[in-house]
Amino acid sequence: MNTIILSAIFGVVMMFSGIFIHNRSAYKNISSAALLLLLVFNIFESQGSSLFNINTTNFLHFNKFGLLFNSICIFSTLIYVMLSGREIEKAGNNTAEAHALIFFVLCGIGIVTSYTNLLMLFIGIEILSIPLYILTGSDKKNLKGNEAALKYFLMGSFSTGIMLMGIAMLYGSGGTFMLENVVKNGIVSYLSALGMVLIFIALCFKVSAAPFHFWTPDVYDGAPAVITSFMATVVKVAGFAAFIRLIEGRLGSMGSQTDRLIAIVIILTLAFGNLTAVFQQSVKRMLAYSSIAQAGFMLFSLFAVNDAAKEGLLLYAAAYSLATIGIFAVLAKMDDMTLEGFNGLSKSQPLIAALLAIFLLSLAGIPLTAGFFAKFYMLSAVVKTGKYLGLVIIGVLFAAVSAYYYFKVIQAMYFKDGNVVLAPVTARFKYLLLFVAALIVVLGVYPNALLSFLYF
Amino acid sequence: MSTTEILFWFLSALALVSATMVLISKNPVHSILWLIIVFFAISGHYVLLNAQFLAIVNLIVYAGAIMVLFLFVVMLMNLNSDSEPQKNSRFKVAGTIAGGCLMLIMIDVIRDAGEVQNAKALVKVGNIGLIKNLGMALFKDYVIPFEISSVLFLSAMVGAVVIGKKD
Repeated sequence: MNTIILSAIFGVVMMFSGIFIHNRSAYKNISSAALLLLLVFNIFESQGSSLFNINTTNFLHFNKFGLLFNSICIFSTLIYVMLSGREIEKAGNNTAEAHALIFFVLCGIGIVTSYTNLLMLFIGIEILSIPLYILTGSDKKNLKGNEAALKYFLMGSFSTGIMLMGIAMLYGSGGTFMLENVVKNGIVSYLSALGMVLIFIALCFKVSAAPFHFWTPDVYDGAPAVITSFMATVVKVAGFAAFIRLIEGRLGSMGSQTDRLIAIVIILTLAFGNLTAVFQQSVKRMLAYSSIAQAGFMLFSLFAVNDAAKEGLLLYAAAYSLATIGIFAVLAKMDDMTLEGFNGLSKSQPLIAALLAIFLLSLAGIPLTAGFFAKFYMLSAVVKTGKYLGLVIIGVLFAAVSAYYYFKVIQAMYFKDGNVVLAPVTARFKYLLLFVAALIVVLGVYPNALLSFLYF
Repeated sequence: MSTTEILFWFLSALALVSATMVLISKNPVHSILWLIIVFFAISGHYVLLNAQFLAIVNLIVYAGAIMVLFLFVVMLMNLNSDSEPQKNSRFKVAGTIAGGCLMLIMIDVIRDAGEVQNAKALVKVGNIGLIKNLGMALFKDYVIPFEISSVLFLSAMVGAVVIGKKD
């Protein structure tokens, strides 16, 4: 409850600071301080001391998994605001409001990681999405950004409609919004299966799983790079938190073909994401496709839904968010976002090039980085279920494909010559980036550093 | 047939016909007018189910406020059949097939669903739709989603101002 209430309050605080404080670079600091507070209070709650004592039975249930997920999301947002605060200022004229909207998104995340009721799922997903539509179009002079925002808004509303229809069907079949399976005489009713499939489709849309991913490249490419960074990381992994809760609670309502359905979605997502990413020339667009591919890996957790899958999802959320936020923080400072733009980065900025290489290696899943253990946990979760072992092989194959396009960026940085145009970077930015890279390596050597929070 | 049944069939037919007209009329203003009729027909259904408050709110909010906004937008943008972009015929065929498949599945599922076999709508009985009971449900059982949805509206409002403001 701490996260939900406090982040809403901090959002309002940010709005008011827009009235009283006119120094635009101050917003970043206020926002970082508020995020730090939010993180501290969320950790307090996961240790069992909540500020608010509200009877939320039937609607929200706060468990260790959800609260740790909140912590990861809030921490990633904190890193994101500290790294890219200056770019948020440049992305539009309403900096304070942009920060307020980021807090509202966190409020939505607090809901979708702990809902037990489909009504709350709906409200949470909407609180998560609506600020994003606005942030996507925050640079009003940029035509591509406007197009992306409108496209995102229309497609997002459409998928929301599908989700509502699914919720209505589920209610019609069982007479309850709760996350519990209503099975009479061992037979899953057609209505509830249809309802679950509709909600499944809507959530697939939100996490950009194929074949509902068509909006992703355009929106991620059109939006300002800072906003893409937030959308592709924190918000996307929160979508998976919502997804795994739904599948965990209502899997039985979907009928006997669920495994096959999820397996098909996984294979399609991996194939579309990886194979199209190979041919991209723009690094920003390549990262958009790679985010689809990474979503394919996170979908493994929905297939398995066991303890290993949940641990893997947490690790994946942390590894993927941190690495992608790091890459985007550098990318947002570059003029030329194509592969050529990275030529010779190692000569002019050796430290940043090395850190970028670590992030890219983590995304590719090379051992000693967090990305390796994240992928390992996901695959081992599927192995533990003992079903569809072919999926694991396909996953490994596509992980190998993904290494190709991540290494192309590393190759451009280290083995090609060119002049990199990079906005001035402060020493603080470099230290922070170094800290993020260190975290990724620590998680890659000792993943229990994160996962042990789940059991204490 | 009792009066209620006659009313039910009349309202259902009206809703379906007007909904189809929304889709096939060429002029967007006509589409919106047909949509208003759909809302009226659905409000009629609410009244039959003894949910008067819901019926009135549906009329005031949807048929009244939102549809007037729609009309304004359509009229201000001066949309008509001439300015409508030509759609690719392949998309039309693909859309018809995809939409038709979905409709087929939905109709089949709802027709075969065990929950609705021999089930009867509670016409004229049941009083959950009355304003007193609705208030009790909203502020006691469903108070948490009710309160949290304020964050949703706040963020939407901030967004509307941010987008609408002149830079």
